[in-house]
Amino acid sequence: MIVRYLLAALVAGLFSGVLMTAAQEARVVPLILHAEEFEGGDEAAPAAEGTTPGTGTEGAAQTQDHSSLGAVILDVVSALSPVSVAYAHEGEDHEEGGIMFGMSRFSGTLLANLVTGAGFGLLLAGFSLVSGHPITVANGALWGAAGWLAVHMLPAIGLPPELPGFPAADLGDRQVWWIATVILSAAGLYLLFLKQNIVAKVIGIVLIAAPQVYGAPQPGDISSNVPAVLGAEFAVAALATTLFFWIVLGLSLGFANEKIAKAA
Amino acid sequence: MAVSTTSSVTLSANDRLVAGVLALLLGAFLVFGAGLANSAVLHDTAHDTRHSYGFPCH
Repeated sequence: MIVRYLLAALVAGLFSGVLMTAAQEARVVPLILHAEEFEGGDEAAPAAEGTTPGTGTEGAAQTQDHSSLGAVILDVVSALSPVSVAYAHEGEDHEEGGIMFGMSRFSGTLLANLVTGAGFGLLLAGFSLVSGHPITVANGALWGAAGWLAVHMLPAIGLPPELPGFPAADLGDRQVWWIATVILSAAGLYLLFLKQNIVAKVIGIVLIAAPQVYGAPQPGDISSNVPAVLGAEFAVAALATTLFFWIVLGLSLGFANEKIAKAA
Repeated sequence: MAVSTTSSVTLSANDRLVAGVLALLLGAFLVFGAGLANSAVLHDTAHDTRHSYGFPCH
């Protein structure tokens, strides 16, 4: 029985990850590629840029701004080959990176979306199981919306979704704040939505507000080569596509719970 | 009676907690690997996903 619940979460997560990939390709990835044209040469280029099938030459042009030798070599390679070259083996943390297994950029994104979808599906299912409130088709969309609030909307108040080339504070500081905010927001939403006690609801609001009052780490210098319009479009597109992802995830998890987990 | 078997097969409280904690641990591991792990290979593979999910990146 335990395995069936985990399986239901995995199925819902993988399904949502596939749909999310389509939404990303339509609304988000074009903005990322556009922003990378303006990105300064101070950061390593994401390896194998422009190897998305069908856009090889376009992508090669986009990496011209990157001045590092590796990016130049990569431009040549990616212009010649439809498949990217992974110049780091899996599991080795070389600085130069590269997409694992020599996959194309799109395949890497699809794989990452599948892993992320399965991960969020398991987290949502685990939260539901531990708290003792089952996710069904009837309430799945609301569960998904709550997940989106905890993982995307509330953290985005302090750390809006950023494009490549945007100024940002130290990565470690931001990750710590982000993780703490997701956990506090999830706990706060649980107390606010699923507890009847008024004191619990007030504590929930305090938990949700606490990381925002504390404040997210901000960069010292906010100047950027990336146009502000792109950033605004990207922030909305990222939040909209993740809302789509979470509502699909909640609904499909409710469906999978009823079809797989309870079908023993 | 028959009513209880047709509605749903429910987990015992203990099994429910075990399943929930397992799901939370496994899910956190997957999300960490795809979204947060400080490995250049993982970062480059998941680059567009990290940005579009709003994970702190770069």
